Amino acid sequence: MTHLGLVSAVAAAARGFEVVAFDADADHIARLQRRQLPVVEPDLPEQLEKHHRAIAFTATASELGRCGVVYVAPDVATDDAGHSELRPVRALIATVAAVLDAEATLVVLSQVPPGFTRSLPAPARRFCQVETLVFGDAIRRAMSPERFIVGCTDPGAALPAALDEFLAAFGCPIVKMGYESAELAKIAINVCLVASISAANTLAELCERLGADWAEIEPALRLDRRIGVHAYLSPGLGIAGGNLERDLATVCDLADALGTDAGVVRAWTENSRHRRDWALGQLHDRVLGEGPNAVIALLGLAYKADTASTRNSPALALLAALTPFAVRAWDPVVSTSVVRHPRLVQAASALDACAGADALVIMTPWAEFRRLSAAAIAERLRGRVVVDPYGVLAPDACRAAGLEHVRLGSPRPPRR
Amino acid sequence: MELIHSRQSPEPPSRVVVLGGGGFIGGRLRAALEHAGIPVLAPGRSTLDLAAEGAGATLQSLLRVGDAVVVLAALTPDKGRGLAPFMSNLAIAAAVGAALEKVEVGHVVYVSSDAVYGAATGRLTETSCAQPNDLYGMMHLAREVMLRTATRAPVAVLRPTLVFGASDTHNSYGPNRLCRMAHKDGKVVLFGEGEEMRDHVFVEDVAALTVAVLRHRSAGTLNVASGQAISYADLARKVAVLFDRPVMIAGTPRQTPITHRHFDITALHKAFPWFRFTPLDDGLARAQREMLEPR
Repeated sequence: MTHLGLVSAVAAAARGFEVVAFDADADHIARLQRRQLPVVEPDLPEQLEKHHRAIAFTATASELGRCGVVYVAPDVATDDAGHSELRPVRALIATVAAVLDAEATLVVLSQVPPGFTRSLPAPARRFCQVETLVFGDAIRRAMSPERFIVGCTDPGAALPAALDEFLAAFGCPIVKMGYESAELAKIAINVCLVASISAANTLAELCERLGADWAEIEPALRLDRRIGVHAYLSPGLGIAGGNLERDLATVCDLADALGTDAGVVRAWTENSRHRRDWALGQLHDRVLGEGPNAVIALLGLAYKADTASTRNSPALALLAALTPFAVRAWDPVVSTSVVRHPRLVQAASALDACAGADALVIMTPWAEFRRLSAAAIAERLRGRVVVDPYGVLAPDACRAAGLEHVRLGSPRPPRR
Repeated sequence: MELIHSRQSPEPPSRVVVLGGGGFIGGRLRAALEHAGIPVLAPGRSTLDLAAEGAGATLQSLLRVGDAVVVLAALTPDKGRGLAPFMSNLAIAAAVGAALEKVEVGHVVYVSSDAVYGAATGRLTETSCAQPNDLYGMMHLAREVMLRTATRAPVAVLRPTLVFGASDTHNSYGPNRLCRMAHKDGKVVLFGEGEEMRDHVFVEDVAALTVAVLRHRSAGTLNVASGQAISYADLARKVAVLFDRPVMIAGTPRQTPITHRHFDITALHKAFPWFRFTPLDDGLARAQREMLEPR
């Protein structure tokens, strides 16, 4: 019952199915029975409240024996290099297989590398399914998926009735393919997203030096049907969160093992590291050169909005490089206690973080930061610099308030 | 390999042995260490000729357990870029390596060069491919490996880009040569129209960073560059305004394609967040003033 499992369970219940939600951790299950969630996900608490009667949270594996379809969906942890730790999911599958009804179907929903599902010793009736969980948008995507990608032994054969009935309830296309194709399809989706992100980041950096503005270019690209309105074209601070990094590492490992070229994938990884440090460079150029007594206000610790995850968070990377400087930080859901920094102060609010600071850095585009008044920020800051990679503040309002506003992909404002 | 500090809180080393302390960077480093009150041993060639036979044993006799050793000694490119200086430079590193194998020093700093990146253009970082395209660059890369494998002590490799300062004798294409041309001829001659972008670092900044590396007992690789590349044309204009009389800036027919080199100094920002490079205008002015001072 991790992020993926919880979201999947709620989505299934919302579609009218009875759900058994198993986790071996009895304390965790007890908290879930009290509807205390371990993750921050918009609309998840509301949907759980609405559908909790259809979900039986249990720490007893044998209760899975009454299920026609069992999804195995633990989040798969990765190390710093993006390599997956697969032993826990293998162990869970073994636990489930031991109690599974003979007619039941097991579906691996976790992020596993190509070859994983075929390598499982049991059960015979097993499938893999591509998950496309997006933190912060997980409920909407789970309730209304674009399609289901299902890996199986024979794509030409009909799906087991129970699985077919379950998937059909969501009213989206079902794309069947071999195990390895499905497992690679998940990776392919993320690789394509990273390609778009990397292209946007590369060109956004060029914009900053050229005097062009990526914010002007981006809408034009979205109107190109070959690129598309939903393309990942907004510049960011590299890739973070862990899942995309995992898939890039998997592609490199597979390419190395099979002798294919993954040079471009390695270049994306390097570009991601480069862009992650964008805010640090801006601070050095504009503020930190003035002396060691600079005070930095930092808004946002999560790796993206609407999540409490700080995995590979650019904000934490920035803090690690600011140890000699005083930092006043605020995040709506993440406490500064997750960070080791000798001069870090937990602010009481976003505006409180700005009090007396020489510069403001907005590292996570939380909605509440978009509502901040540039004038109120200017009133509290000691300095004038606002490093706002995602452009959560309106540039015009910042200029009007006398702030030096810097964002990704925009021409560098002159230093005052 | 990023730079990692063995000492998060800086402490002065008990003694620093500077090999090549009589050179352009070595002289500034000695001065910086002495200014900081750090004991320095910088054996001259009469005491220690690192290119001579038996130099390893001589150096071994000079080293103490726990010393920090800064290796600058090298035949610079102005002494030739052929096979003979290449082999001599390897012999110097072999002698240093032989001594380091015998004496458990506390720290080794090797001052290498951005020549290890060969003809690489565009943005460079410490993770850029070190692929020398001449024997000088290959020599530095080989010496980096030789010294790293010779000792169990932390080894820091510094790769300075184009270093300028008054006492530089290399006269390579950079601020020093431009200053000398302006002073002597009232004219600065550029390759092409001076379009190439390069990073220039003031010698005192190289010395100051080396001292910081010694204080933190750092290990790993660090490029020593300001992060602010400038075209030779703009550099020439900056040099020209330092002189009272008019200095003509002249281009020449281009013989080679235009290449640019920029350094991303994020790793330096992370290793030494407080470090500030001397602004180029200030460094040029100081170099020009000292260069023209009567000795």
